[in-house]
Amino acid sequence: MITGDLKATYAADERVLNNSYKQTFVLAMAALCALMPFIANDYIILVASQMGIMLIAVVGVNVVIGYTGLLSLGHAAFMAIGAYSIPILHRLMESIGLPDGIMPFLAIPGAIAISAIIGIIVGLPSLRVKGLYLAVATLSANFIIIFLIELEAFAPWTGGLVGLNTPDPNILGWQLDTQREMFALIAALAFITILAIQNLFRTRVGRAFIAIRERDYSAEILGISLFRYKLMSFAISAACCGLAGALFAYFYARILPEQFELALSLQLVAALIVGGMGRTMGPVFGVMVIVMVPEVLKFTFGMVAGGAAEVVQLRAPVQEIIFGLLIIFFLMFEPLGINQLVDRGIRALNRWPFARG
Amino acid sequence: MGEFIQFTLNGLMAGTIYALIAVGIVSVFKATKVVNFAHGYIIMFGAYFYFTFSVIVPGAEWAPDWLQSWEPAWMVAMKADLPMFSPMGAVLDWLSNLPRILLGLTGAVICNALLGLLIERTLMRPLIGQSTFAMIMITVGLISVMSGTKGLIWTADAEFVPHIAPNTPIRLNLFDTPIFLFGADLVNVAVALLLFGAIVAMVRYTKSGVAIRATAEDQSTAYSMGISVPRVFSRAWVLAATTGAIAGAILATRNGVSPSLGLFGFSVLAIVLMGGLDSYVGVFIAALTVGFLEAMAQWQFGGEFAEVVPYIAVLIVILIRPHGLFGQKEVERI
Repeated sequence: MITGDLKATYAADERVLNNSYKQTFVLAMAALCALMPFIANDYIILVASQMGIMLIAVVGVNVVIGYTGLLSLGHAAFMAIGAYSIPILHRLMESIGLPDGIMPFLAIPGAIAISAIIGIIVGLPSLRVKGLYLAVATLSANFIIIFLIELEAFAPWTGGLVGLNTPDPNILGWQLDTQREMFALIAALAFITILAIQNLFRTRVGRAFIAIRERDYSAEILGISLFRYKLMSFAISAACCGLAGALFAYFYARILPEQFELALSLQLVAALIVGGMGRTMGPVFGVMVIVMVPEVLKFTFGMVAGGAAEVVQLRAPVQEIIFGLLIIFFLMFEPLGINQLVDRGIRALNRWPFARG
Repeated sequence: MGEFIQFTLNGLMAGTIYALIAVGIVSVFKATKVVNFAHGYIIMFGAYFYFTFSVIVPGAEWAPDWLQSWEPAWMVAMKADLPMFSPMGAVLDWLSNLPRILLGLTGAVICNALLGLLIERTLMRPLIGQSTFAMIMITVGLISVMSGTKGLIWTADAEFVPHIAPNTPIRLNLFDTPIFLFGADLVNVAVALLLFGAIVAMVRYTKSGVAIRATAEDQSTAYSMGISVPRVFSRAWVLAATTGAIAGAILATRNGVSPSLGLFGFSVLAIVLMGGLDSYVGVFIAALTVGFLEAMAQWQFGGEFAEVVPYIAVLIVILIRPHGLFGQKEVERI
């Protein structure tokens, strides 16, 4: 039981995992992720990999929406850029004759950097407008980027409407050609991303983001350069989405432009709202729910219908309705998301039997 | 030159329909300060309701024959005498479709009005006084709910529906090039313009219009002046949903009903932001401009370029004038 926030040194106060509960939880999770490739079956590995990819992207969205308070509905575009960078960079590196083994070490940072640069460009309107205007501006950017990818003129590079085959990563001679091996990479990078972003919010930059979220004019008066920090926020979040996109490209055999349309942007935002905005664990809970919904539906529909075609084709619409209802439900009844519910539960357990709630 | 005029006219005609759709977004924003991201899907529902009442219901077994195709004896006689492709023939075809067109329009308007009321009551009213972020995101959630519901109710895609006016081709000669216009398009434009004008006049001159403007100015003051703000809200939503129904019906006659009508709402949202969220005039000008630019893009670069024109236009306008061409600058107090 935590009896108080008792810290004897500044170092203890500044730690990321500042109590034993967090330490145990994170270590247990890390151990679980490390063990999973050896014990889990293929289906669990597939779902967990999807969660990992989504998680990295939602952590990125959390930086812009949850911490900086800039409403963005276009983050799928950054994932698209990250994903498309991978095969294109691989092709470029092949043409200059680099060995396969070091390509991912250049391609992944390359994809992240390209996404971050595009993120800065897309973030430019955030200096002039905010709230809803920014939401529409980012939405427009999403449409425009997907349009450019689909454009016939760039088809030799992007594959146009029919998409592109993606390479398997080869890390110093270790070919990650099964999903199990990819999961190890995804899990490791997801862990690093979450810890890095959590760490970011103990620094000057992170505090500046939060100040901008609370009141951007006041932040400016306090000496925070809106220009610099808003663009930095967009760059960091686009970089995370770029990483997610890069892993997406490595994980699946083929990428299509239609995978990165508005529906994905809405899914990312839905995951964030359901999980809890502006909290570290928010994206984790949100992604679990958003990825599990289709799987649970698949399971229930399989049980109820047993493969009848008329019933199975109702699954996609039902899934969409559930996504929408989740967003609406959480906004109306628990705007702080699952994270808040979990917090409340833990607090109640912690105080039991002395007090409730 | 002739081609230019042809494309300009097409663009301007599309622009008036954009304006009719935009009026719904502007009305809801003016009254409730909520920007309805799901307006495109309300339009899509309008289109599908029109499809239901003008194609599915008349085609049902229990429906009377005259509903499907109204052909009194005099009309059959007149049709027999006509040559092929004559304008009169188009009018007669339209007349025999008229019962189901009227049924379709009334059905679409009524159902959509109920839909608007439902959305306002269940989703918007509980959130009065909450942050705008929550309200906007709820309309975003509504997008998924509505597009999923559509998939459950209607499985038909790209179905065709009867035109709401006789579709007589009209041929003009300008600068030695023939220009084609269609009767139905002209009537669509007229309907859109009339509705747009009527709504602007309503907001300016009638009592309920004044209530909407007062609420837009300051909700709590309007409340204390005896205006029932919740009623203003539901009125605005009904207004948006009914104009959306008619816009949806018009769009359905042009390209057939399909789920892509929902995406249309986003380009109209871009147009609305371009014109300025609270200005009917600005939105009208922006709608015509975008219609014109889309037609030009289609003419010069090909059809797929037309789709992104509104988004590029809104990005440029927002960067130069953050509150749109004619929008009021929001005063923010710290």
